[in-house]
Amino acid sequence: MRCEQVRQKLDAYAANELTAGVREKVENHLAACDACRQALARQRELAALLRGVPAPPVPEGFAARLMAAARERVSARERPVTAPASPWRWWTSVPASMRLAAAAVLVISLSLGALMGWDTARGGAAAPSASAQADPTAVYNLDFLADAPSGSLAEAYLTLASAPATEGR
Amino acid sequence: MTSDEELMLAVGQGDLAAFGEIVSRHQAAAWNAAYRFLSDAAEAEDIVQQAFLNLLEAADRYEASAKFTTYLYRIVTRLCIDRSRKKQPVYTDDLPARATPGSSPAEAAERGERDEAVRAALARLPDRQRMVVVLRYYEGLSGSEIAAAMGTSVKAIERLLARARMGLEQDLAGFFGK
Repeated sequence: MRCEQVRQKLDAYAANELTAGVREKVENHLAACDACRQALARQRELAALLRGVPAPPVPEGFAARLMAAARERVSARERPVTAPASPWRWWTSVPASMRLAAAAVLVISLSLGALMGWDTARGGAAAPSASAQADPTAVYNLDFLADAPSGSLAEAYLTLASAPATEGR
Repeated sequence: MTSDEELMLAVGQGDLAAFGEIVSRHQAAAWNAAYRFLSDAAEAEDIVQQAFLNLLEAADRYEASAKFTTYLYRIVTRLCIDRSRKKQPVYTDDLPARATPGSSPAEAAERGERDEAVRAALARLPDRQRMVVVLRYYEGLSGSEIAAAMGTSVKAIERLLARARMGLEQDLAGFFGK
């Protein structure tokens, strides 16, 4: 064995951890090598130096603090996890019949709105006829609404809208 | 007496009393390793507490495939080296005074100086060399146990120890032969 190999085995040799075969080779080398014998002596002295330095004992109360932390961890793990509040929770709290009624109102409103829009679009898309030019209210074609009541502000506006452009100059 | 491995299996089933027994048996060894490595009592306590809590968290996955102490040292080693990489070890002067009956003040002072020199020499070692020295010389682990704790081979441990010894012998040359 070379010196470098023996020096790497010195700790295991000193602790009696080597197999019989390797131990014999190390011992044979040590018997013939002064430098490695001195290295072994230094290793033993170093071990004594290191082990001679005391360390403080485990801090007082350490186990109690650790067990408290352990109990807290276990409790936290066992605590039921509450699901975050759903934004639709208010909806699920409303009775089913009321939810149905609300849905129906929504559908009807949307349908009416769509119908009004469709009628408006139909009336606006038509080529302006001579009668439409003469009577601006005909463009709106709001058949399901009553005429403006006599003497009302609506009637006044409609009268103003249908007056020729030269008036008022 | 219930073995450490049996206790750990019980901890995995939620037995906190078994965990308390594990702590009682092994807190000193874990503390010594952490303190010797970090040279800082507050850091060492933090590491050891973390090590045991990590044990608790992983208990339901524990398999008694290796000695329990190897498992514990593996956790302590990893935490110590990680902590050391994040900061320089704080070299505290809170070594307990060694009262040897019959020793003179001069002898006590000399011993104190030697102890300080040893701690300083240890602190100068690279992390992995320092850890193998702690596990070998202070915890009395065998080469194969140290290899298992540090996740490496016995040959690598032998090389680390040889290099660490060279550094320590150089730093502490003045105390040899006394």
